[in-house]
Amino acid sequence: MSRHRAPEELLLDYAAGGLAEGPALAVAVHVALDAGARRMVDRLGMLGGALLDGEGEAVIGEAVLQQTLARLDGVAVEARTERAPAAAGPAWTPEPLRRYLGTASKWRHRRMGGFDEMPLRLHGDSHRASLLRLEPGRGLPRHRHIGDEYTVVLQGGFTDTTGSYATGDFCVGPDEIHEPIADAGEPCIALIVLANPIVLTGPIGRYLNPLVRRGWL
Amino acid sequence: MLSVEEAADLIAAIAARQDRAAFEALFRHYAPRVKAFVMRGGADAEAAQEVAQETLIMVWRKAASFDPTRASASTWIFTIARNKRIDLLRRGTRPQIEVEDWLSAFAGEAQDADKSVEAEQTYIKVKAILADLPADQLAVIRKAFFEDKTHTVIAEEMGLPLGTVKSRIRLALGRLREKIEKDER
Repeated sequence: MSRHRAPEELLLDYAAGGLAEGPALAVAVHVALDAGARRMVDRLGMLGGALLDGEGEAVIGEAVLQQTLARLDGVAVEARTERAPAAAGPAWTPEPLRRYLGTASKWRHRRMGGFDEMPLRLHGDSHRASLLRLEPGRGLPRHRHIGDEYTVVLQGGFTDTTGSYATGDFCVGPDEIHEPIADAGEPCIALIVLANPIVLTGPIGRYLNPLVRRGWL
Repeated sequence: MLSVEEAADLIAAIAARQDRAAFEALFRHYAPRVKAFVMRGGADAEAAQEVAQETLIMVWRKAASFDPTRASASTWIFTIARNKRIDLLRRGTRPQIEVEDWLSAFAGEAQDADKSVEAEQTYIKVKAILADLPADQLAVIRKAFFEDKTHTVIAEEMGLPLGTVKSRIRLALGRLREKIEKDER
């Protein structure tokens, strides 16, 4: 089965630190689940290291060094932090997602859309992030993207006109209308990060647009 | 000039015995580089110096967490500097994924003594590939790292079609992947 990996230019944006929190979270989750993306981000970090190493030095006065050394008296060298054993959270939750899931995080059933949603709290307002859960065979209403949409599959899989997406796969919202349907097996759970409200175009979906604009879908 | 191995040893000395001389050597090498790196992104000298200072203090605090089987010292310090730059210069406008999360993505893979030699060799290869990149590809890569701008913004600023910027990035990263994987086979 072919893997859908985040495009390399997006991995570069991530590794260089240029992404806003929402897309950065989507890429971080994908990277945690996909060894190939992880290798590329690893190499991009080396590229950053090489640029840091070989692109010149600015002047830093001796006084700044002395001042920094003086500050060390108040800064302890921390003991090695062992990786926290799987913190609270269901098995399908990769590490970078866990700090976004609080005790108050709950699935909410969206009757109109026929799926469950768990909204996540981001710090800025350029993006919205949610977890969506779809029962096998269920689909999202037909919609079209205006802004960027980033999807990472956390459990199960879904299929739309652009292909089939399995756990760990990454999907950048296509410009065309699409209608993803959850594959057979476990319910499909995905992280969705949206830059702008999407506009529904189907015969029923059109009536859902007021909900979209209010951030309910 | 510090070798990859020397830099790793200095960090290990801080972790083992809070070695201030080792810190001083790391500071002398990396602080001016971090400052220059941040200034290339358009920050003024004072702000860039603050990022450099805070980055090196973080190196001191986190020295015990540095793992040479996962990253070279320069790579590790780059990731800390990248996050410090975001914290200090873009406070409020761009909350970021924590550095621990970013690095923890690499954990859990096989780690043994050979790995640190391997990581060192790969890093040296990456430096050579960087030095050999065609100018148009290098310009895009440098802009991404130094100015922490997305490829979309880079395309706008350089007056290039988005497709051109994407293909330059993919050519550069394709070269990185090919050269490293060819040698691994």
